[in-house]
Amino acid sequence: MATQQNPVQYAKAIQYQLQSIVTPVPVYATFNRNFAIEPKFVTWMLRNVHQEVFTGQNQNNKSIDRPTFQISIFTQVIEDGFTISNQILQSLHGYSGLFGGATNGFWIAKADVIWLYNSYDNEDKLAQVFLDCTLDIPT
Amino acid sequence: MPLPSKVLPGFSASLFMQSGATPTPLTNTQLATLASVSAIAISANQVLVEAVPAFGQDDAVANFTVAGSRQSDKIPTQSAPTSMTITAAWNPSDTVIQQVRADAYNGTIDRTYVVQATDGTGTVYYAFNARVSQFQIDAQPGAEAKAVFTLHPRGNQYGWSNTA
Repeated sequence: MATQQNPVQYAKAIQYQLQSIVTPVPVYATFNRNFAIEPKFVTWMLRNVHQEVFTGQNQNNKSIDRPTFQISIFTQVIEDGFTISNQILQSLHGYSGLFGGATNGFWIAKADVIWLYNSYDNEDKLAQVFLDCTLDIPT
Repeated sequence: MPLPSKVLPGFSASLFMQSGATPTPLTNTQLATLASVSAIAISANQVLVEAVPAFGQDDAVANFTVAGSRQSDKIPTQSAPTSMTITAAWNPSDTVIQQVRADAYNGTIDRTYVVQATDGTGTVYYAFNARVSQFQIDAQPGAEAKAVFTLHPRGNQYGWSNTA
């Protein structure tokens, strides 16, 4: 038996967890005009929220949830981005336990972080590092 | 909290084993007793496996054919605990893996192993006594070196327990 998890809860938990890892660097849900004022900041995007549905007419016959969120790190200095990415790797990769703090958090079996690639945006004058993090959530 | 009341990710399961060169394995009663089993499931005793293989009970059946009957009859017999072939990334200095190697070398050491699975609130344990065989190092160049070994449980020596 499994109940569908609430994406709102995921969003709150991701925001809290990332913020607690990279503080005092600000964390935002989406990219906006932060690049104009912040020398370094982190954004995230949640995707692939999906519990596999099993057979039969019982709506609760579902599997675990394995959502992925992309973490984008923007910095004016390239090395800062790599340093922040390492903070996230050390804290999150392989992590098992309460995710997202006492108020909005939930227990995860696994956080699996993939360090995707780094880049540079000449227009914004910002270096970028991208990571994917997949959560295994008992449901 | 009692048994986990959620669908668990496979990642939730982990494997532990009694420490010491000459352990005293748990009795059948203790194997189904939370306090005895959870004392083994501590981080120092964890076997760092790549995945916990299927655990539980084997299939065993007696098949009867009765003359004059349209169908034969299959009756489950008391089936043995499942042998578990374990793959662990090989760190030659890992004390737990070294102990497994020593057990395999000896061949007659009974030791209690514990599989633990949790949803963060409740925990379920499967404990069994086993000997080690087929300790091998698989050093294929395309991946990490692996220590592969098989745990053969002793008959009638396993139990389930959970946090209460």
